[in-house]
Amino acid sequence: MTATAGPERLAVTEPLRVAIIGNPNTGKTTLFNAMTGLRQRVGNFAGVTVERVEGGYRMPDGRRVAVLDLPGSYSLSAGSPDEQVALEVLLGRDEAHWRPHVVLVVADASHLERNLFLASQVCELGLPVVIALNQIDAATEQGIQIDVPALIHEIGVPIVPTIASRGEGIEPLKQAILIAAALPVPERRFTLPSDTAAALAPLQEQIERDGFSPSAAAMEALRLLSVTRGEAHLARVDELPRHLESTRDALRALGIAPERVEAEARYEWISGVLARSMVRRERTLRTFSDRLDAVALHRTGGPLLFLVVMALVFQAVFSWATPLQDVIEAVIATIGGTIGGWLPAGDLRSLVVDGVFAGVGSVLVFLPQIAFLFAFIGVLEQSGYMARAAFLMDRVMRRVGLHGKSFIPMLSGYACAVPGIMATRTISDPKDRLATIMVVPLMSCSARLPVYTLLIGAFVPALPLMPGLDLQGATMLAMYLLGTVTALAVAALFRATLLRGPVRPMILELPPYRWPSVRSLGVSVWQRCQLFLRRAGTVILSLSIVLWALATYPHATVDPTLPEAQRQEAQLGYSALGRFGHAIEPVVRPLGYDWKIGVSIVASFAAREVFVSTMGTIYGVGDKEEAALVDRLRAERGADGALVYTPLIAVGLMVFYVYALMCISTIAVTVREAGGGRIGWRWAAIQFGYMLALAYGAAWLVIVVGRAMGYAA
Amino acid sequence: MTTPSSRELPVCTCPLVDSETGRQATVVAIACGDHDACRLRAMGVYEGATVSVIGKRHCLLVDVRGTRLALGADLAEGITVRPQERPKH
Ligand SMILES: Nc1nc2c(ncn2[C@@H]2O[C@H](COP(=O)(O)OP(=O)(O)OP(=O)(O)O)[C@@H](O)[C@H]2O)c(=O)[nH]1
Repeated sequence: MTATAGPERLAVTEPLRVAIIGNPNTGKTTLFNAMTGLRQRVGNFAGVTVERVEGGYRMPDGRRVAVLDLPGSYSLSAGSPDEQVALEVLLGRDEAHWRPHVVLVVADASHLERNLFLASQVCELGLPVVIALNQIDAATEQGIQIDVPALIHEIGVPIVPTIASRGEGIEPLKQAILIAAALPVPERRFTLPSDTAAALAPLQEQIERDGFSPSAAAMEALRLLSVTRGEAHLARVDELPRHLESTRDALRALGIAPERVEAEARYEWISGVLARSMVRRERTLRTFSDRLDAVALHRTGGPLLFLVVMALVFQAVFSWATPLQDVIEAVIATIGGTIGGWLPAGDLRSLVVDGVFAGVGSVLVFLPQIAFLFAFIGVLEQSGYMARAAFLMDRVMRRVGLHGKSFIPMLSGYACAVPGIMATRTISDPKDRLATIMVVPLMSCSARLPVYTLLIGAFVPALPLMPGLDLQGATMLAMYLLGTVTALAVAALFRATLLRGPVRPMILELPPYRWPSVRSLGVSVWQRCQLFLRRAGTVILSLSIVLWALATYPHATVDPTLPEAQRQEAQLGYSALGRFGHAIEPVVRPLGYDWKIGVSIVASFAAREVFVSTMGTIYGVGDKEEAALVDRLRAERGADGALVYTPLIAVGLMVFYVYALMCISTIAVTVREAGGGRIGWRWAAIQFGYMLALAYGAAWLVIVVGRAMGYAA
Repeated sequence: MTTPSSRELPVCTCPLVDSETGRQATVVAIACGDHDACRLRAMGVYEGATVSVIGKRHCLLVDVRGTRLALGADLAEGITVRPQERPKH
């Protein structure tokens, strides 16, 4: 083909741009990490890569190479928003105009037939292509032998076998990318039957008129035959729907089913190519994964196993982390005490000890739990169990009008709503996707953990219920279940009202089970911990200081003869925070809370963990003795002498936190993912509003019902 | 007749849901919504592909050239297959 849309001439200083594309779960992200050294989260289910991830490396001669990791796609026919992204980048029609010089197709050597479908489409884009034959180890294990030179000859692009997970084949791959940049662009290697080709010609010309290269236009024309309508990047093609329809009619007149043409042509070519370049031993149909699946996907055993796995995770998060938490708590207390000892008594010492150490320290304590949670989610993702969970949950999800796939973003929501909402991009149905976005924040995220842990630790006894589970673990599990069940109910409500529509049938790939890699697990947990520490060091630190100031000023003139505790109490009541708290007390009173809890709730609308740090600051300011926050809460009494925190209040408070959307990042990401602009804001407002109403209503109900049942509140 | 499979409809076919577990079958027609059909083809379930049902739950577990796919029962209803002869051994 001519070079109309071929690679532009490279300026010497400009980096070589390489885009990585491939089927989901072929190892793109692993390969990207191996090439660039940048650490990306790796997951073993379709669609972990949902955002554009850019990295780069330098060749030995100093040449810079920029690499973009595109979301996994099965073909260039964009079904879901993430596939659309890939297609637009490859055609140079994305917002950033990041048109690659070379496309790197990552193909899974053990599933080459299917992987070459996408590769054959990419080879027609009019760009130089390199194919990484990844997971060559897995292919060999399955008795698949690939004659690489023969394959190169057949496809006409450089092909490099790699084992991304062990970093093998990376240097040759980098060389091949440089070489490919200078090679002529690949072309279609098969010919359509002449009557089909003739019927397609007018459509192809029409697309070419919009500036597509003849090769890319031919690819688009063929692809469009099986697509409902042209995607956004084809919007400028003049009268596309009309041309598409007349092409389809022409084909039907020839007795050809238009929607089959592309798949038949490509797969026919692929099977010829593979017949000449690949040998595979006769496969046993039942693999190791199948045997595991016989249990994991069993009609009754599967869901049971799933529940056991989830229960274990939560119990472990809660109990295994405790010793580590004790250590952190002790260290923070010691450092705070030592530094406090150096400072003269007065406001500065109070700021450091009560504001910084008590506030931030009370949140830092939760680092081990968050690390455990992310480690467990990482194991579920990498092992391949996540896809099974989606499969099992499809039954439940379908009943509430969602696709089984929606469960993956919801599960990620246990860790954090932000990646959860971004992971909804793999859902192709817009209404399905929006309904999922709306409920992901109901899944208890790791920021709620500190709140649950503080309250459970203080008010729920560790009664053993059964081996491996005590009442504390069970309460924690109950909070997660409450959020999850509510999420499903709310999704059903959305799907029956604002987002009514049919549910897409299930199509899900179940990847083979794999051992999680300790290194990539460690890396992802470490990244998450860093993120948490950064939050603690910025948002929570500054809020702690602000709250400390509000709790300290204006100074009250208190009678110095009063006992210490009463003086502190008077000061707190006189402070700006105290006045504000008293002002909002009527709002939280029906929920059984005093003004201190009210203040903490208001403060935690910036970030949930701030509830804990605010409590730390308030009680730090109010109390000079070094009692742990938990003990302090247990002993707290109101003016009437009654306990402020009863177990009932604690439960009500937890329920409030299960439901309330208190996270600025979540709001921001909902605005963006729900469509941006006015529409995005509208959905974000609906989300925030319904969650707040739910939180208040449910917490109120807990108190009312609890009181009626005779519990103290 | 250069692409015969798209022009003729063979006999003794059944929907994929009714296909015998463990028996290989050739896909002869995919009649789902355009969108799902397009996706299925890209995932290796195209007219002419060999597939075999390996388990039936609320969804169908299907082997497609070594890949495991879970397909909704409603979807599998729209996929017509022709069961293949059992291998001799
Ligand atoms: N045996 C083997 N496993 C590999 C190889 N490369 C990657 N993997 C594993 O394959 C799994 C998927 O890898 P990812 O890098 O997340 O795949 P991806 O293509 O980026 O997936 P998506 O982002 O979901 O589209 C991980 O569990 C990797 O450890 C390889 O060369 N050999």
